[in-house]
Amino acid sequence: MTRLANGPASDGPGVSRRVFLRGVGVTMAVPWLESVPVWGTETLTAEGPAAAPKRFAALFMGCGINADHWWAKGAGAEMELGKSLEPLAPLKAKLNVVHGLFNKSATGVGIHPGQTGNILSGASLKKGSELRGGISMDQLLARHFRDETVQPSMILGCEQPVTGYHETNFSMAYSSHISWQSETSPVPMEAYPSLAFDALFDNRGRQRDRSILDRVREDAARLGREVASTDRAKLDEYLTSVREVEKRIDAVRAHKAKAEARAKDAGTPAVTMKRPDDGLPEDVREHMRLMCDIVALGFQTDKTRVATLVLCRDLSGLFYPFLGVRSAHHSASHDDLSESYEKISRYYCEQFAYLASRLDAMREGEGTVLDNSCLMFVSSMWSGSKHDSGKVPLLLAGGLGGTLETGRVLDYAGAGDDNRKLCSLYLSLMDRMGLALGHFGDASARLNGL
Amino acid sequence: MRLLCFTVFCFATAATIASEAEPVGDRMDREFREKIGPFLTTYCLSCHDSDAPEADLDLGGYASAASVARDIRRWELVLERLDSGDMPPEDADPRPADDLRREVVTWVRSVREFEAERTAGDPGAVPARRLSNAEYDNTIRDLTGADIRPTRDFPVDPANEAGFDNSGESLAMSPALLDKYLEAARKVADHVVFTPDGLAFASHPAITETDRDKYAVNRIIAFYKRHRTDFADYFEAAWRFERRAALGRPDSTLEEFAADAHLSPKYLATVHAALTGDPEPAGPIAALQALWRELPAPDAARPDAARPGCEAMRDLVVRLRKKLTPGVDNLTAPGIHDGAQAFVYWKNRQFAANRRRYAGGALELGDVGLPPGTPAARALTAPTDLASAEAYEATFARFCSIFPDAFVLSERARVYLDPEKEKDLTGRLLSAGLHSQMGYFRDDGPLYELVLDEGERRDLDRLWRELDFVTSAPMRQYAGMVWFERTDSRYLRDPEFDFARAEDKDVTSEAKIARLHELYVGKARRTGASDAALAAIEEHFKNISASIRWVERAHVAAEPLHLEALADLAQRAYRRPVTEKERQELQGFYRELRDRDALSHEDAVRDTLVRVLMSPHFCYRLDATLPGDGPVRPLTDYSLASRLSYFLWSSMPDDELLSLAASGTLHEPEMLRGQARRMLKDPRVRGLATEFGANWLDVRRFEEHNAVDRERFPTFDDELRSAMFEEPIRFLIDLAARDGSVFELLEGDHTFVNPPLARNYGMPEPDGGADAWVRIDNASRYGRGGLLPMAVFLTKNAPGLRTSPVKRGYWVARRILDEHIPAPPPQVPELPADETKLGELTLRETLERHRADKACSGCHEKFDSFGLAFEGYGPVGELRTLDLGGKPVDARADFPGDVEGTGFEGLRSYLRDHRREQFVENLCRKLLAYALDRSLLPSDDRTIREMRSKLLAEGHRFGAMIDLIVTSPQFLNKRVAADAYVEADPIEEPIR
Repeated sequence: MTRLANGPASDGPGVSRRVFLRGVGVTMAVPWLESVPVWGTETLTAEGPAAAPKRFAALFMGCGINADHWWAKGAGAEMELGKSLEPLAPLKAKLNVVHGLFNKSATGVGIHPGQTGNILSGASLKKGSELRGGISMDQLLARHFRDETVQPSMILGCEQPVTGYHETNFSMAYSSHISWQSETSPVPMEAYPSLAFDALFDNRGRQRDRSILDRVREDAARLGREVASTDRAKLDEYLTSVREVEKRIDAVRAHKAKAEARAKDAGTPAVTMKRPDDGLPEDVREHMRLMCDIVALGFQTDKTRVATLVLCRDLSGLFYPFLGVRSAHHSASHDDLSESYEKISRYYCEQFAYLASRLDAMREGEGTVLDNSCLMFVSSMWSGSKHDSGKVPLLLAGGLGGTLETGRVLDYAGAGDDNRKLCSLYLSLMDRMGLALGHFGDASARLNGL
Repeated sequence: MRLLCFTVFCFATAATIASEAEPVGDRMDREFREKIGPFLTTYCLSCHDSDAPEADLDLGGYASAASVARDIRRWELVLERLDSGDMPPEDADPRPADDLRREVVTWVRSVREFEAERTAGDPGAVPARRLSNAEYDNTIRDLTGADIRPTRDFPVDPANEAGFDNSGESLAMSPALLDKYLEAARKVADHVVFTPDGLAFASHPAITETDRDKYAVNRIIAFYKRHRTDFADYFEAAWRFERRAALGRPDSTLEEFAADAHLSPKYLATVHAALTGDPEPAGPIAALQALWRELPAPDAARPDAARPGCEAMRDLVVRLRKKLTPGVDNLTAPGIHDGAQAFVYWKNRQFAANRRRYAGGALELGDVGLPPGTPAARALTAPTDLASAEAYEATFARFCSIFPDAFVLSERARVYLDPEKEKDLTGRLLSAGLHSQMGYFRDDGPLYELVLDEGERRDLDRLWRELDFVTSAPMRQYAGMVWFERTDSRYLRDPEFDFARAEDKDVTSEAKIARLHELYVGKARRTGASDAALAAIEEHFKNISASIRWVERAHVAAEPLHLEALADLAQRAYRRPVTEKERQELQGFYRELRDRDALSHEDAVRDTLVRVLMSPHFCYRLDATLPGDGPVRPLTDYSLASRLSYFLWSSMPDDELLSLAASGTLHEPEMLRGQARRMLKDPRVRGLATEFGANWLDVRRFEEHNAVDRERFPTFDDELRSAMFEEPIRFLIDLAARDGSVFELLEGDHTFVNPPLARNYGMPEPDGGADAWVRIDNASRYGRGGLLPMAVFLTKNAPGLRTSPVKRGYWVARRILDEHIPAPPPQVPELPADETKLGELTLRETLERHRADKACSGCHEKFDSFGLAFEGYGPVGELRTLDLGGKPVDARADFPGDVEGTGFEGLRSYLRDHRREQFVENLCRKLLAYALDRSLLPSDDRTIREMRSKLLAEGHRFGAMIDLIVTSPQFLNKRVAADAYVEADPIEEPIR
């Protein structure tokens, strides 16, 4: 475990962190420490614990679930779970099973892509070759936390995005992307675990800035020697600004090294994760696990606070020989009440449970990382055979730092359309993460009773 | 010390010339010792000394005329306040006698004049400065060809004293801003499109596949749209050519008629030949020839007389082609989905092959929509005997070859399904017609063969290659096939196919494709596919595999080209040639990113681009000079190119300027004037209109103006707000392009409106949307004309629920006439915010009361009357006869100098008859300050005078000012050592 020696000092000239990591093959990250708000721009503070950061992740599965086995009743430890939800049994107390929410813009527009590309934005989508929807709530949160973490958001997928046209004349891009940075552009999605990992631990964005600024500083310095004396003050101003930004980047790295050292001294258990191999995992099970691990690691180390993970896209072509199902995902969903599709639904629930329990095993302050997070599981429709997006299956895990009561089954099915909007849920969640908006998507009211 | 000597020496020299008896410099120094110094000590320093000086004005420390000259800008303020009698204040004790005060005023003036003459033409200090936000955005636009506006999130640039945000005085850099620059540069880099032969920029980010699709597809669609293929246009052009003598163009060629109508000369020749060649006895061309002969002769009154006839001919062609286009049945095979890629592409190829092919049907045409008995109808009557039928059908083959069923097919729904049911699925540009998979199909043979010339064919071929290259379409299409064949189709569900997974990057490797190809065909053979089906499958695998391999090879081949493009981009970004060393440094940086940091080619190119955009060579204006010794040196021609372009366009120089700089001729005065003339006619002169015009007139940020209560003024929406802002911009662009008189700004009887603005003005609306701008002449019919009654100023200077004669009047005084009016004292009573709440009094009466207060009247008399003249315009600039309180408006005004007038017309006459000179002086001063990127100095006085006499000599044309500025010594030179005022150390004993 030589990871701790991997501070700035060990980055010899010409050896990038990434190459180094690849060489060692093993890395280790440290948890967020309440006495050491390490990663952001905050300064070290000795007094009192800082409030733990809040995180949000959305896990998406296309084509709906097996409705016969997707139910819950009761509350807290007494909660009873349908067969598909059983993987979540150990987490009942930290779970909210939310029924009956829907996205109005995803109804009455035809099936599949039109039900998916706006699941996190609530925007109505445009058909034909020009894409147009809305910015998604994860990206609003990413902007909100932009200056506080290394990576504003992690946008991951276990299935590559596709384009082309669906029979509804919506672009298939809507089936692939749930995170949108603007009305017209989705956020590029990372499908390679190795690259997703590097993006977190290479601190790539800022390191890349550092390389650029290095050169720019040389330009400015050289120029400062060449220009007229009247120009020098202005170029100095530039040079100073460049140096200052470089210093800030270095300070973040130094901070991190220090925090790692402290963590070691304090005997805090460190999480280990091997850098995933290059390429895509052959087995979809391994792929999803790795992606969940990376989200967990990103949250634990507070390198990012926002993630979306498309476990499978809408109209998914994933297939599951290990479940004994020969049909690919989308075809299987057309027989959504079958035993096969129950197995698939349960399998996805397991992935959600896996990520939640990973986070729940990470101590943070008085609780766990899960307690300070909100994980959301959502699908584009309720029933794959009916392509019914009149309501969507939705699970929440984690208490967002005590702001979100858990262990509940909430049913909005009969609350009336105005009171069961997905966007209302998003407003409520964003509120709790410090981003209060007047309205979002089609909602201007918070979700009652959340 | 050396500089001080320089100063003193100049004083002495100039002074000696000025006067034989006593040099002026000596006299002024003597007067300072005898009068000015004691005056300061007695009347000023008790408040304005170095300990906490009043108004931050420290008048201690002056010991000579030279020391005052050094600080002349501060002394101009002293001059103004002394002259107006504001200072020393009324309650001062002792207070100087008026005579004494005036002597001091006269002395300061003479120092200033002396100084102005001595330094006339000195460029003054213009330090390196970063691009302003507007300059940055415009430069990126002209550098990349994409209007990305990366500074949208930047803080607003502060303005300098002259009101412009383009000077080093005000443009600072900070770490926070630098971070924003980084973000902006990254944003620009996200727009890079990697093409087979270089780099391009999309108007949107081009990272995700869907964005790359959008870029490449739209380029092809735009190409298609540029080529007109309406048969009626060709018939009409051919007709015009035939009748060229009657149309007064006996010598025009067919090519010229093609060019006039933006048609393909090649296809026009084909069509013309078919219509005018040997008459055919029967068949479709014979029918067209018959209709052609019936086209009316031109008539001077109706040059379009033949249009309806040409359209009828076109309609006949279209009807016939519909009847003659053969259907194509799906190719199918047992167990394979009808929508399998191999079959869909096969079907597309059949359609494409049929576009110009006759495949039967001539003998069963039925009704072709021609009046029975006409020659055309007779020509299309099928013969009954077998021998003639053959000849008859042959004419159809020729017809189909010349008149394709479509030149281009640019949209396709799913081609293997019933077209009736699919007809709503429009907008799938260039799509192959697959189900849920991406895939493009090129079907433009007739356009290519009949319409395009060699160069255009090459362009189109390039665009299609670019589509595959930019979007990796073949790879994605293949992965889509693997996915589809396992989901909608079940074909690949056998375990033998499990190795091929759409998610795997290597699914498109040569080995895996070959394996799937073999297994796919094997299964098809086993399950009984026909030979045709097998052949289609073979061909599809072969084609797509070849396309994939081509894209891979092309990517490798393009890498060095991308690096070259990057160096060229740097050259344009730096607005000068890059040195070999710089070129190597960029390459080295790229290599380092690839080798050391293991970045991909694309990421490394993007980061190298960011590095270029972050370089001070890009984001600063450096004004390099020629080598020399003096403190003032000529700018290089490249610096001059930038100076011109940032002055007139607020953007980087174009290729013409740069090549003139390269040839070393740009600095020649005639060349500078010629270029300026060219540049004023270029659309980029919008940069001058916006950055100079809108800042001068104080409406630069009007598009964020939110002071209007939209509930009370529902007509004021974002569209109207943009239109209001646009009006003076259009006016200025037009004035500059026409080189019109600067007096048109105030006295012009025209303006420009679009529909929303016309509605606001009660003018007839032009046809079209918000982009439909038209010039309105005799605008005084509607109470408009020139800048003054433009809604943007009237609205900006109204607080929302009432008008504000004070603000409107102040705006005229300050912005149009450059009156110096001090800020109002504190504790001025507020007027009610709402006109309906004024009670019994009108706004005019309320103001009169205000002016009755002596503390207020001094200033308000200078401008209230201007504002009252605008009372006929409401808070959003609309004409009105009643104010919001329901009282009739009264727009009478007593202008300064006891001139009476009414309304805007009255104000316009007053300004024309009494204040013209002041307006011109102001305009010259503002434009020069903007052009020089700094506040004015006394050394600019002579240039201002020259600008004014040139205006006078040349009918006040706008370009006269520009000509003078771009050839002025200030514009052509740079002061490289700090200027004499600042660096001369005061050595005399300060007075106390």
